[in-house]
Parts: sequence; C-alpha cells; structure tokens
Amino acid sequence: MRKLLTIFGLALFFIVGVESVKATGAGNSHLTLPRILYQGGNDNPRPQALRSLLAQLSRRTSIEVNREPVALNISDPELFRHPFITMAGDEGFDPFPEKDLKILRNYLSYGGFLFIDDNSARADSAFSVSARKMVSALFPQNPLGKISRDHSVFRSFYLLNTVSGRSIVKPYLEGISIKGRTVLMYSSNDQGGAWSRNKLGHWNYDVIAGGYRQRQLAIRLGVNIIMYALTLDYKKDMVHLPIILERLRRYNPK
Amino acid sequence: MNGLAKLLGLDPEEYNHWQLHWSPDVLVLTVLGIVIPLALWFFWASLNRVGSRSRKLFLFALRLGAFTLLLLVLLKPELEFRKSQSLKNSIAVLLDNSKSLSIKTKADESPRIDLIKKALQANASYFENLGKDFNVDYYFLSDDIEKVAAGAVKDRYRAHRPYTDLTPAFGSLVERYPDQSLKGVFLFSDGADLTQEPDGISRNLVVKLKGLGSPVHTLQAGSNAGFKDLAVEAVTASDFGFVQQPLKISLTVFASSMGNRNVPLVLKEGDHILVSKIIEVREDTKRFEVELEFTPQNVGKRIYALSLPKFAGEFIHTNNEKEFEINVVRDRTRVLHLNGRPSWDSRYLREVLAHNPKVDLLSFFILRDMGDNVEAPVSELSLIPFPSNLLFDDYLSSFDLVIFQNFKYDPFIDKKYLDNIQKYVKNGGAFLMIGGELSFQGGGYSRTPIEEILPVSFRDNPRSLMGKLFHPVLNKEFSLHPILRLEKDLNQDAWQSLPQLQGINMGLVPDKNAHVLLQYAREKESAIPVLVTGSFGSGRTALLATDSAWNWNFRNVGSGGSGRYFQRFWNNVIDWLIAEPETRRLQLESDKERYREGEQALIKFKLLQKNYQPAINAKAQLTLTQLKAKPGVETELKTDEQGEGIFPFLPDREGFYTARVQVDLEGESLTEEIMFSVLKDTAEFEKPLVNEALLKKISEITGGRYHPLTGSDDLSSYKFTNPDIQVKSHSRSFSLWDNWWAYSLVLGFLVMDWYLRRKSGLS
Repeated sequence: MRKLLTIFGLALFFIVGVESVKATGAGNSHLTLPRILYQGGNDNPRPQALRSLLAQLSRRTSIEVNREPVALNISDPELFRHPFITMAGDEGFDPFPEKDLKILRNYLSYGGFLFIDDNSARADSAFSVSARKMVSALFPQNPLGKISRDHSVFRSFYLLNTVSGRSIVKPYLEGISIKGRTVLMYSSNDQGGAWSRNKLGHWNYDVIAGGYRQRQLAIRLGVNIIMYALTLDYKKDMVHLPIILERLRRYNPK
Repeated sequence: MNGLAKLLGLDPEEYNHWQLHWSPDVLVLTVLGIVIPLALWFFWASLNRVGSRSRKLFLFALRLGAFTLLLLVLLKPELEFRKSQSLKNSIAVLLDNSKSLSIKTKADESPRIDLIKKALQANASYFENLGKDFNVDYYFLSDDIEKVAAGAVKDRYRAHRPYTDLTPAFGSLVERYPDQSLKGVFLFSDGADLTQEPDGISRNLVVKLKGLGSPVHTLQAGSNAGFKDLAVEAVTASDFGFVQQPLKISLTVFASSMGNRNVPLVLKEGDHILVSKIIEVREDTKRFEVELEFTPQNVGKRIYALSLPKFAGEFIHTNNEKEFEINVVRDRTRVLHLNGRPSWDSRYLREVLAHNPKVDLLSFFILRDMGDNVEAPVSELSLIPFPSNLLFDDYLSSFDLVIFQNFKYDPFIDKKYLDNIQKYVKNGGAFLMIGGELSFQGGGYSRTPIEEILPVSFRDNPRSLMGKLFHPVLNKEFSLHPILRLEKDLNQDAWQSLPQLQGINMGLVPDKNAHVLLQYAREKESAIPVLVTGSFGSGRTALLATDSAWNWNFRNVGSGGSGRYFQRFWNNVIDWLIAEPETRRLQLESDKERYREGEQALIKFKLLQKNYQPAINAKAQLTLTQLKAKPGVETELKTDEQGEGIFPFLPDREGFYTARVQVDLEGESLTEEIMFSVLKDTAEFEKPLVNEALLKKISEITGGRYHPLTGSDDLSSYKFTNPDIQVKSHSRSFSLWDNWWAYSLVLGFLVMDWYLRRKSGLS
C-alpha cells in the first residue's frame, strides 16, 4: 500500500511539474541566460544551475523563459542579443584579452548586465582572485563595492534581508553601478550550487548549514537578480513604496 | 579789448567779452615743476667762473626767460572773444491729461479736468503777466510730457492718455532745461500715478524732482470725499500654468464708500464658474487682498474673467470686471505604462520614459500570473495589488498617454474599463499598444472597445506572433511623418542602419484611415503593418506590432551604433501621440498674443497633408469671433506653395477673440483654434482715487506749495525768483602758443644764451 502511495505521489508530482512548466518558445522576448566561456579554469562547474533557475523563474513569475543552455564567447556577435549574461567558476582562469574587455565594457555600459557566481565556496578562492582582476581591468575607476540593503535587487520580487547561497561565504552581494544602474553583480556564495536540480527534480548539491530555507532564499535571490535586470528600479517608484515599506517593517521589525 | 580785437582782425562791435583760457597738462607741469628749479640751480652754479656779476645775472635771466616761455607754451594759452546775452527764465505748467481726470467726484459734479480748466481760465491774466518776465511753457503730462502752445491748450486739453507715470515725465522735464533756467513748476493733477504706492513716493521720482532744482507747486484736481466705487484691482497671475495642477492668483478688491456689505467675487472661464468667494467689504477699509485657487482643465491659452457685482451709484463700472490670460501647458507628459510581463522590450522602453525629463511615468509590470506559484507568503513579496479602479475610473483622464505593452487586460482590468479607455481617447487622450504574445488578439482585445480605437481590425489568427527576423521598411508615402524623423537629413539611411527585429504580430488589418508608417514587406505576399497610427474622436492612437524594438537600442550598440535612434523614435512617438504642436497637420498662430485697440492682427496657419507634405491650394475656413459678441468674421482662404495661409484682421473693439480654422482635406476634417486679446487701456480706472499724499510729498520735496483746486482759485500769490543769466551766443578763440613767434622767442633766448656763454668762456 505504501509503495502504491509512493508511486501515486511520484506520478502526481510529475503531472503538476509538467503542467506548471510553460511553453519554452524561443521568441525574441523570452528570457535566455547565456553563460560566458573563458580560457583556463572551469567555466561550467554547475551545469544544471541556470536551467534550474529559469525553471523556478518560469514557475514563480510571469517571465517567459528559454531554458535551452546557451554559452557564448565575449567576442561572439550574438552577445548583444542577450542583455543578461552569467559567468561562473570555481578555479582561477586566464585574464581576458583586452579586445574582450573592451566589448564587455561596452556591453555593460550601454545596457547589459553580468552576474558572476563564485562556485568554489571559499573566500579568496583562485576564481575570486581571477574574477576580481578581470573586473578591476574592466572598470579601473569603479571598483566592486558592497550592495546596500536598500538596493532594488532586494525588493524586485521577493522582500529579502539576507544574501543566501549554497555556502554563505560573504553575507552580501558586491556590484558595480554606472549612472544609477547596477551593471554587474558578484556573489561569493555559490548561488548556482543552491539552484542546481537534476531532471528528476532532486537537488544536486547540499546547502551548507542552512537547509531548505537557505536554498529557498538563494532561489529567491536568483529570481530577484533577474527581475532587477528586467525592471531596474521599478520597485522604487512612489506607487510601490507605502506597501513595501509597511511589509518590510513587519518582515524585519528591527 | 577793442585794440586787441582790432589787432587780431576782429570787429569789436561783435564781441562784448574776452577771456584767457589755459589748458595745462598736469603730468607735464608736475615734471617741469621739479626739473626747471633743479636746472636753474645747476645753471647758476655753472656760472661761478663768470666774473662780472651783471653778466652772470643777464645769462641767468636769459635762461630763466627761455624756461618761462617754455612753460607758457606748455600751458596752451588761448584768448577767447565772445558775445553774451541775458536769458529769460522759464516756468513749466504741467497739465495731467490721463483718463483718470475724466472721473467725477460726485455724480452731480463735473469731472476733475474741469477744475483744472477753470483754474487756468480764472488765472489767465496771472499767467499772461508771468509771461512778461518768464517763458511760460505748457505741457500735457501722462507717462511723458508733450509741449503745447499756450494758445492751443484750451482746444487740445482732454483726459485721454492711458497711464500716469510721473517719474519719466519729470525726467523729460529735467532734460528740457539743462541750463538751470527753470525756476518753477505748476503741476495740475489728481496724482493718480499707477506706479506709486498709495501712501508713498518712489526713490526714482524723488531723484528726478531734486534734479529739477526748482519748486513744484501741486494743484490737486478732485477729491476722494464721497467717491463710490468697487473695483478689481491689481490681479497677479503667472503668464502660464500647468494643466490639472492647482493655480493661485492674487488680487486686490478696492471698495470706496460701499458701506458694510458682503460681495461675491467670481472667477469664470467662458460661462463656466471656476471659483467664487465672498468678500466682506467694510467701510473703514479700502483694499482687500484676495487669493483664489483653481485647476485649469485644458491646455492652451485660456481667458479667465474676474467679476464683482455692479452697484447703483458707482462712479466707474468698467473696473468691476477684469479679464486675464494664462497659457496652460503640460508640466510633464503623464504616461501610464502597463507591461504584461517583464521583458527586454519593456525594460528599454521604461528606461527611455523614465529618463525623459518631460515625462511623468507611472508604470506597472505584471510580475506574477494567476497560475504562478511564488512559494512565499504575500508578506515576503514586494508585489502590490493592481489598482485598476483608481487607474481606469478615477484618474484615467489625468494621463496624457496610456501604453499597453504586451499586456492582457484580463484578469487585471475589468472589461467595463475598456469602455472608459475608449471614452478617454475619444475625448482627446492617447493610446499606444505595443506588440507581443499578450497584445491584440493574444490579449483578448478582439471585438472590444480597444479594437475600435486602434487603427486596425483584428483577424482571428491562431498564430498571432510570428518569430521571424525582419527588417521593417518605411512607407514612402509617410516618409516625412514626425514619428519617423530620426535624422533631419539622411533619415532613410538612419532607418536602414538599424538592426533587424524579431517577432511580429500577425492578423492586423489597417483601417481605411489608418497611416501605416512601417511595414514588413514580403516578396509574394502583402506587406504586414508594423507601425500604424490613427485617430479616434479627438485622440490619437498608435500600435507597434512587435516586441523587439529594443533591438534598435542594445543590439545596435553591439553593431557599433548607439541607442540614440531608439530614444528618438520613442520620443517622437510620444510627441505625436500627445499631439505636440509641431506634430499637428494644421498649425494656427497669431503674430502676437495681445494687441492694442486699433492694431492689426495677423492670423497665420500652416496645413500639411497626411504625409506631412505642404497642402497647396487647399481651402480653409477661418472664423474670428469675439468672446462676448456674435456673429464673427468668416472668410475662406487658400494655402500657398508652402501650405500656408495668412489673414490680416483689424479688430473693431477690445476683448478676447477666438480664431478657428477648419479644413476638409483628404477625407478628414481638421480644426484648430487659438485665442488672442485686444486691450483697451483702462488701467487708469484700476486706481481711480486722487493721490493727495503724493501731491503733498512732491511739493514738500521741491519746496513748492500744495493746493487743492476748488473751482475759484487765485494763483497770484505764487512768486518765482528771476536771476540774470548770461548765455553765450557766439565766440572766437586764438591760440597764444601754437604759432611761429612763440617758438622763435624760445629759440632766440637759447641762441643768445649760448652766444654769451661762449663769449664768457663757458662751454
């Protein structure tokens, strides 16, 4: 009987799962999250991460997504089809050629967004050293800075007061802003590890210390980062403020 | 003097004075004052070897003489012979001829000006006698002075000038008597100077009065006793205001001898009362400061009228009403931007709107569908309820433009509100639908009021969004349309430089009157409309049948371009939708906003065809109507080669006029309307009271006397000083230094000095 119930339960899960997944048409308006390819190191340590996040995004929000994995070189002419790109890794990598840095600088300065995820789960990892060097070469006059808690990324969909991840190495996000728009966000907490799920729906990596709530907060942060890239400071419009501030007051009574 | 004149070849009879003039150069004299004594001292010392004392003194005298002559030459002496004669001093009689002199103090009394006329008549012999010793000059006075011959005063003196401003008038008087010959002034006036405060005198006027240097005797015409009047005085309103924004005006209500009563003050636009206020008039107070606030509802030049009731026995009724004009403009274009889901297309458009300083943006993104599972309680979400009632019922009319971007109205907006949107556009609002899966048929808009207002009809199409890459092309017929103007020159090249789009809404059939500006031209099939504009009622509508216009921004950057054209395109779309003046096909203007009575007005209009080319030889009906008079002037005009027409118009009376042009062109009826005003100068009646304090101050400052005219006035006690003043009629000058004999004398002294020194054995 218990076996029967288990089989019935699994069947029900898949039915719901299938129903909840929206059509993934490759229309121009559907969101794609390309991964950046680079030389040296490991540019895809969490192969399921982006697909899993996109599935969550589709399930939780009105955003239409294209879950097909896309990987691009910086110099790829297709780069400017995708205003949101990601970069992940857990090892050191070769410095970007000046030509690529110029393209990336142009990309970010004129409307693009880059999310960098350190999957090593270690402070001062080799990836972190390489990535920070790259960012420093990208914007020498505009270093990475801690993103404050009143930034729109913490209220673009979910109201968040912590920065989660698979392993909480730094309890904050870092970023670079140009003319009031944050163009680059950097997480040290292996967000991709918390998002990754296999095709059967099982989580690929255990979160360190926090359990279910920590993973949920990491997924919420992922949703918020994408929502921020798509809506910018929309949630700071005056029409939203009274309700959001009231909820924040209750949610975070301190 | 006669001998000297004869010596210089002059006729001594022609001159009665001579004078020696010096023109010393201070710097040269200072230097010589130091050098010459030193040089003489050295020279005296060098004469030690000369034994004879008399020779020594002679040599020194020669040198001293040479230096003295040199000094004289440098002082540039001139001898002037002149003829001088005695000058007669002047008395100025200033006669106020402004309109306030026509006011009667009491109903049974004569106007103020009659008091002045009587005084002049009664004292005619006094002025005649005065003329024996003085030049008696008569001037009419208002905001300047106008000289008038004594004999013409009687015929020409009438109260007609629009303003009294004593400061420039006395300024002109000072300039007319630069030689201090003015020994006295009679000022016949009521003192109703519009520029002076009731109990004060301006510093500028004091300066001018002191500059006269002679007494001003003020003779006051009229008095304020028993003067009954109620007036709208000094309206202060800005030249422009913002539509839908409260606007404040301030004014003074003047009341004299009105008793204690409450009077209503009403502000109207046409026949529509905007606001009214009860003024509690009290006998012991003359002026009441009032502030009114109202909200302009329509854009354009608006004429507002303030009015107080007219009471029996009032001396002036014209000042119970006052009209003023305010140019009502949009402060910023209020845009309501609804997004069916977050997308790159909506994000880049939002950036353009949010960064446009002329736009006041209210945007909503539908972040969550009904079927979405957010896995969090509402308290942990930043989502807010969609305020559809407020937006589409209460505040819809406050927006200038409503944008539905890939937005499906159900379940967020009740279907009944689509009717409200239709009415909003019909009444002049603007509506734009931007494509995507949730737009047009995909948004469930088939057979709804939205389909009616858009310039297309929807064909039932199972595949409403085609994901094909395409390059939209300009419809040549509308290549001059303001929406398509990315560059002033080479506009076609600018459009061709833009990257391809991806995704086009299918099944849209342009209406008969639709303007298809951009289309996807296919080889064997009919073109698909991409950008279509139209109108519905008084409003404008447009649609963009794609959700990939953002490619013109970010993808263009990737191709080495910029987002400049994307921004310009959307700004053009907004300007056209809200019918900014430069996007209108019929433009009407007058060469001025305000005309004086009797001044010709030029009414100009420009007419463009649907494709924004000038409409040549088109007939237009021009109607000019005065606000309170019917019927107006009607005329038919034809446009020239520039598509322009002009009509000179001479208004026959003061007031506010409406010019309306109506044109039937290419199956459409176009109408434009403007307003202009023709002003009669009645400012004098805004401050009709006699300003006794001002007249007293003027006489006090200048040492004159103040006297209120009664009708039987004797001016014989007014006396003036009459000193003898000599003035030069002609003269002749002779230089005593710039001639050959002066220089020869200097040279002679020096040669003799040199010769004697040599003879004395000196070098």
